[in-house]
Amino acid sequence: MNDERRLDDDVPDAALVERARSGDAAAQSVLVRRHHGAAFGVALSMTRDRDTAQDVVQDAFVKAFGALDGFRGDAAFKTWLLSITANEARGALRRTKRRRETALDDAAPVAAGGPDPAEAAVTSREAARAREMLERLPEKQRLSVSLRIDEGLSFREIGEVIGSSEGAARVNYFHGIRRLRELME
Amino acid sequence: MNEVHGTRPGGGAPWDCGDVREWLPDHVAGRLDAEARSGVEAHLSACVSCAEELELVRLLHAGRPRVPEELPDRILEAVRGEAVRRPRASARRPWWGLSAAAVAAIALGIGIASDDSTSIPSSPPETLASEFEEGEFWVSDDGLLAGAPSLEGLSDEALMELLEELNTEGPGGSA
Repeated sequence: MNDERRLDDDVPDAALVERARSGDAAAQSVLVRRHHGAAFGVALSMTRDRDTAQDVVQDAFVKAFGALDGFRGDAAFKTWLLSITANEARGALRRTKRRRETALDDAAPVAAGGPDPAEAAVTSREAARAREMLERLPEKQRLSVSLRIDEGLSFREIGEVIGSSEGAARVNYFHGIRRLRELME
Repeated sequence: MNEVHGTRPGGGAPWDCGDVREWLPDHVAGRLDAEARSGVEAHLSACVSCAEELELVRLLHAGRPRVPEELPDRILEAVRGEAVRRPRASARRPWWGLSAAAVAAIALGIGIASDDSTSIPSSPPETLASEFEEGEFWVSDDGLLAGAPSLEGLSDEALMELLEELNTEGPGGSA
């Protein structure tokens, strides 16, 4: 645990990845704790189901660590992991045949995904409504908005995750925001 | 926090709606430095449309999903379980004497393994978009971009035109 605590502060992902390649458990642990939230966000955005999203994230990390030897490092570990997560989520959707767009009209907000407690008192209702509207957007717009707002990814990084250009990610984000503003009126 | 933005993109001209809207998520999450924050706030004080968009971004940020607390431990347990299992699996041989990797390669070669969710990209997949959303709308369904076959096929100039259109025709217009 002490090793992990020392690693967690300043060590960049690239160095952690090198250590994780050789099975360094502390490095793996830091990478998991650093990026599981973003991976969960991608998985939840695509599957809409918290249990399924956890399965997806777990499988994505197992596959990522199992494939570190093939990771070229020309992308950031985070975006690489998130792209694997998106692939896993796609596989989960195929397996369960729960395509999101088929349920747009009766889409429910993501269960139990409420805001942080401190913010909840003030904005919970409107925030929940905004997230519910977000769920109604097409896949790429939804992912672009959530990755930009929830994770602070740049449009280049978002493009890497969703498999599009930086410009297309930017357009998807702004179109999603515009659509959300219309839905919230 | 992934990035800390410090300077206005494009130089020292006043912040416009496009800049501000692009950086609102960073503003809300506190990722802007003092100079950038000041520029954004000055624009927001004079632009109703961007201020409305700020409110939306704030709501979305406040409502972001809570991550299950147990998830990291669950992941690590699975990762370590897999690490324990992997040597045993590779040590076994199928009855016809081939390694598991060779069997997998043969299976892939003859198309048995068709679920590409098992594949691991060495870099982010460029084809994910077209594979996942082929035939689906990932531009607006409001007709604004009707007829655009795919954003991927558009030039940078065309994308910039679309962005310009979004910036100028958004709810409430722009400042």
